[in-house]
Formats: sequence, C-alpha cells, structure tokens
Amino acid sequence: MRAFRLILTTLLLALAGCGTPTTAQVVHLSQLHPLPTNALSGVIPLRVAVAAVISPKGTVESYQPLMDYLSAKLSRPVELVQRRTYAEVNDLVEKGYVDVAFVCTSAYIDGYARFGMELLAAPLVKGETVYYSVLIVPADSPAQSMADLRDKVFAFTDPMSTSGRMYPTLLVRELGSTPDQFFARTFFTYNHDDAIRAVAQKLADGAAVDSLVYDYALARDPDLARQTRIIQRSPSLGIPPVVVNPGLRPQLKAELRNALLGISSATPDGQRALLALGVDGFVAIDDGAYASVRALLTQAGAVSP
Amino acid sequence: MKSVLSSKLDQFWAFAGGVSIRAKILGIVLALVALLGIGITLQVRAVLSRTMDTQLREQSVSISRDLAARSTDLILINDLYALQQLLLDTQSNNANVRYAFIIDNQNHILAHTFGQGFPPELLSANSVSVTEHHHTLTLDTDEGVVWDTAVPIFGGQAGTARVGLSEANVRRSVDAVTGQLLLTTLAVSVVGISAAAFLTWLLTRPILNLVQAANAIGNGDFTQRVKRWADDEVGALSEAFNNMSSALARAQEERVERDQLRAQYVSGVIGAQEEERKRIARELHDSTSQSLTSLLLGLRTLADGCDPAMQQRVNELRTVAARTLDDVHNLALQLRPSVLDDLGLPAAIQRYVDDCRSRYPLRIDLAVRGLDQQRLPANMETALYRIIQESITNVVRHANAQTASVLIECHNGVVRAVIEDDGCGFDPSAVELRQPHLGLYGIRERAELLGGKVVIESAPGQGTSLFIAIPCRC
Repeated sequence: MRAFRLILTTLLLALAGCGTPTTAQVVHLSQLHPLPTNALSGVIPLRVAVAAVISPKGTVESYQPLMDYLSAKLSRPVELVQRRTYAEVNDLVEKGYVDVAFVCTSAYIDGYARFGMELLAAPLVKGETVYYSVLIVPADSPAQSMADLRDKVFAFTDPMSTSGRMYPTLLVRELGSTPDQFFARTFFTYNHDDAIRAVAQKLADGAAVDSLVYDYALARDPDLARQTRIIQRSPSLGIPPVVVNPGLRPQLKAELRNALLGISSATPDGQRALLALGVDGFVAIDDGAYASVRALLTQAGAVSP
Repeated sequence: MKSVLSSKLDQFWAFAGGVSIRAKILGIVLALVALLGIGITLQVRAVLSRTMDTQLREQSVSISRDLAARSTDLILINDLYALQQLLLDTQSNNANVRYAFIIDNQNHILAHTFGQGFPPELLSANSVSVTEHHHTLTLDTDEGVVWDTAVPIFGGQAGTARVGLSEANVRRSVDAVTGQLLLTTLAVSVVGISAAAFLTWLLTRPILNLVQAANAIGNGDFTQRVKRWADDEVGALSEAFNNMSSALARAQEERVERDQLRAQYVSGVIGAQEEERKRIARELHDSTSQSLTSLLLGLRTLADGCDPAMQQRVNELRTVAARTLDDVHNLALQLRPSVLDDLGLPAAIQRYVDDCRSRYPLRIDLAVRGLDQQRLPANMETALYRIIQESITNVVRHANAQTASVLIECHNGVVRAVIEDDGCGFDPSAVELRQPHLGLYGIRERAELLGGKVVIESAPGQGTSLFIAIPCRC
C-alpha cells in the first residue's frame, strides 16, 4: 500500500512537472497596499515638450538624440514630454510645466497672441526656415486639385495645425464652401504621420500635411512614395519654431538658445541629433517670419482651434 | 517479502477460485472498464492540462504584447486615463486575465487593474530586459497559480507591460472534463456489466446443464442429454458428454443383458440340478426302495423255513436290508422331498426340521407365518427350502450351537426368512474376503436370482443371524 502511494505520488509529480520557472515567494493578490508616491530625485530634469506633429513613437525616435545632446550640453537630465494635441502643449508652455517646446507654427501664433509665447530658435531645413503644406491623394486617385475632392473623405491632422487644417480649409473657402459642406466626411489624425498613412491606405481620399514630415516619411518608408502623390503645394510658411514661456529664467533661456544654435554636425552628438531630426541646424528667428502665416490664418477665418 | 507475496498470491487464488464464473467474468469486465476509464481519464487530464497550460502561456504572451503595443502612444503622450481604460478593457475582454499593469522605465506604476492599492510582492515578482521579447513565469499566489508575462514597451523606453493570467478557469475546465470522463466510465461500466451478465448467463447455462446431466448419470439415469447451445468449446464438451452418456447407456444395457444371461444360466443349472435330484430321488424311491422291500419280504419268507441258526443269520441280513432301505429313504428325502412338491414349503420345512431334531443334538425352533393360505411359486419354494437346508447344515457343521431358530413369514409382498443360532459365530467380512464360502455363496446366489437380498450378522462368540428377503406377488 505504501509502495502504491509512492508510485502514485511520483506519477502525479511527473504529470504536473513542466519547464516553467516558478518563484518561491507567494504573491498575495488580495492583500492590497497603497502605492508609494514617487520620490522626487534631487535633480530636476529639463522638461522639453514636442507637439504631436508626428506620432508619439516617431517623436521619440526623432527627438531622443537631440534630448541626449541637450542633456550633455546642459549637464542635467532631459525629459521628453508629449501630448495628443497642440493645444495641450501650448497649455503646458503657458503654465510653465515645460521649459522649452517644439510647437507648430499656428500653435506659436496662438500662444503668442494668448500669452506672449516667445521664440527661441527655428530649425534650418535646406538653408531655409520655411515649410509648405502639401495636398496629397492616393497615387491612383484622378484628383488634380482640391476641387476634385468634393464629397470625398478628408483627413485633418490637428485642429490647430497650419499645414494640416488651416491651409486646406482656406482652399475649401476659396471654392466658396466650408469643410463640413464640401467634404463627405472629415476626421482628425492628430499627427501628420497618421494622415499620410490614412491616405496611403485609402482611408482618406486626401489630406494636407507638413512638407517636412512628408519628405522625412518618404525617406524612411519609400512605399509611401508609391502609394501617395502631391497634387498641390502651399506658398512658403514660417517653419514650426522652438519656443519658451516669456517668464523663463533669462539665464536658462540663453543657455538653451546657445545649445540649440551651437549644435553642429561637426560633433558626433550634434550630427546624430540633426540627422534624426532631418534638419541642418538651428537659427535665431523673429516673429516677422510668421507674418504670412498670420495673414493666411486670418484668411482662413473663423476656424476655431 | 517473498513469503508475504506468495501468501498474498495464495489468498488471491483462494478468493478467485471461490467465486463463480459469473463473478469472475463480471470482475474482469469491471476491472478492465475501470482500468481503461481511469487510465484514459488520467492521460486526457494530463494532456489537456499541458495543452491548456501552453495555450494559457501563449495567451499570456499575446495579450501582453498587444497591451504593450497599444499602450505605447498612451504612455508617450501621458494619457494615463486612456491607459487605465485600456487595462480595464483588456481585463474585461479576457476572462483569464487576473491583473494587468504598466510600469514606466523608472519602475513606477503608471496604471493597474487592482483598484485601491497594489499587492506589494507583485512588482518585483517578474521583470524583463529590454532585449527580450517577453519573459513569462508562473507565480504562486493566494488565488492559485498565475502566469505572469512581462513585455518591454517601445524597446523598454516607455516601460514594461505586465499581465497575469489565472489558471483557475483552466483548472475548472480540466476538472469538468475529468468529471465527464469519469461519468462516461461509470455509464460504460453499467452497460459493460449488463452485457457481461448476459454473456455469463450464455456461458454458464450449458455448464449448469452439464452439471445436472452428470448428476443424473451418477444416479443411474442414462437418458439425460445436454442441449448443444452454441458451436463453441462448451458446445464440443456437451457433444462429448452426450456421446459419453450414450456409450455408458450402451454399456449399462450390455451389462444388464449379461447379468440376465448369467441369471438364466445359473437358474438353468439350478433347475437342472433340482430335476436331476428329483429323478434320482424318484429312482431311489421307486426302484431301489421296491427292490429292497422285495429283498426284505424274500428274507422273511426265507427265515420262516430255516433252522434257527440260519434264521439268526437271515434276521441279521434283514436288519441290514431294513437299515439300507431306511438310508435310501433318507437319501431320497434329502435329495428332493416329495412333500415339497406335494404339500408345500411349510410342511417340507417342518419335516426337514423334525428330521434334523431326530438326528442331531440340536434344539430347533420353527415358526412359519402367512403361508398357510397360499403356496409360493415352485422355484421360490425350492430356493427357500434349499437356503434353510444349507443354513441348518452350516449350523450343525460349524456353529457348535445348542439352539437354532427358523422363522419364515410372508408379509406385504416380501418373504422373509431368519435363521439364528447361539453358536461360536464368525467374522462375515473376513469369510467373504478370504474366499467365497460355497454354502453362503449358494444362499446368496439363489436369493439374488429371485431379486432378493441376504444379510449376515455375526461376530466371533456372538452367534449368527441370517436375514433373507425375497419379493413375491403374494
């Protein structure tokens, strides 16, 4: 009888045994303790907000080398902060929750008007500080201009985006209509990457996107070039700037400006950061560069952000 | 150990041998079904457990990977509310998910499904390096085993997703299947036992028939035949049994026939003997006695005309002739008393007994009952007369007895004769074993030819009793 029990136990053990490691400690799932509040580390990081021009992941990939560069330059950790909309980032800048922000052109114009958002620098692309809004359609679409997109599905990027919403709205207004009446349906993708993909996958019949983002996306994913084509290009627009809260400490503001303006492809860190961003460098810029955009926004009229 | 084993084996054989074939077959069926059922149940349970564990593990990995992919953007844009909703949706859409939570790259918990509070040991229970695809292990929890998978989010830059899948549902499913299988086994057992009971009945019916027929043959009934139910081994046995019965019946017939022939022969011999004795007795009586009587008359006549000396001689011769006549007379009587034929058994026995009393110093009591109205068949009278004659001769020759008694009675269709003496007695079995005593053998033979029986009761110093019973029609 004892032998039988022994055999049975061995058998059951053999049946139950499997290769998965098991922790020795018993976890008590029903005994819940309050979570500890995260202790503040001694060093306060530099908080850098980046508006959602491209997807959150794409933003990290593009901006992390620059963050590393700034961290090294300023000898303090840098935290990359993202939000879904431009408005949320503007809000972070206004309330001083972030020290510096990469915003969209129209977000700057709005922030400037609202609380005097201050320009720190602007990226230099192909020797210029301008960009364009490009109207794209699927590669096999017969559309030649905005007029051909009547009663189609149109993808906007962000409600506050100059290239993704203000410019196409202006085009529709020039045709004597409003987006609500002109298009069969519109939707927001909240970043330019997704708008391009929406067109490539024919989820939308058209979209207007940031030319810098479009070029960068095509460079990374050549398939997109075969799936989409540009049917219209806007006049040059002031490039999305780097901004700060007007109340930021002047010393930090100067350090940041110097760090950005001094970034050079001569150093490996600088080269990596610029390559990831797809820009040549950063230059100082003044509010005058955005006059044309302001005029365009006025033309676009009562488009609420 | 060996002796224990062998004693256990003996116990088993004693038990297995003690139960009927029906119980044996039912036992075999039951044991087989139970073994098969339990074996299959255990095997299915083991395989099912393994398969479902594998599925649970794969599910754990796929849910974690999915969660990690979908939470990336939410973490990057710091949408903690949507992140929390994503975790809750994941939990509510997957019954096996016990918990899910997201930790950032500083090991701070961003969102979790526990509501108020968090189990303190859980956070450190599993981890994954940024280069790993996932890391799964089983956690022992107070709610049973949980498969915990950790997956890095966005290459670890956005943190780690952790999902725990409880085995409870899997265990329940396995237990349910086990229960079903055991129930099925039970049902099959019932069907199997019914079928086995029927089969056993089929098998044992011819065997029981054989037992019945064998018992009948043992009791001398050779007419019993066993029905051949099936064309199998038992059927062959039945046929062999029937053949044996037929052979036995034939042998019995032959034996009876032989016995009859022998009886006829013996009775023929006895009859011939009696006839011959009768003829000799008649010859002695008619011829020799007449001659002797003539001789006596002649001698008397001769004596009348002789001188006294011669007369003396003749008278002596007359005495011799008279004694010889007497002897011839006695001899004729012993060979075949004509009184037996003329007056019947009681008178013949009476006469014989009287004769013995006069000749031997022996007291003989005689009683005859139930034979005064009728005569027995001639052969039976002869047989009984000879039996009593032989018995009394034995008493006179061997018993050295003072007294003997003879009782003959006919009652209820049986003629009984009892001959007793107060002599020296003997051991009947020893006498019969040593060599058949011709006198006793003759008594037995005569009685059995008439369908009767002879019983001898005797012991040395105890006298002898001889009981004879012969059926008759009276």
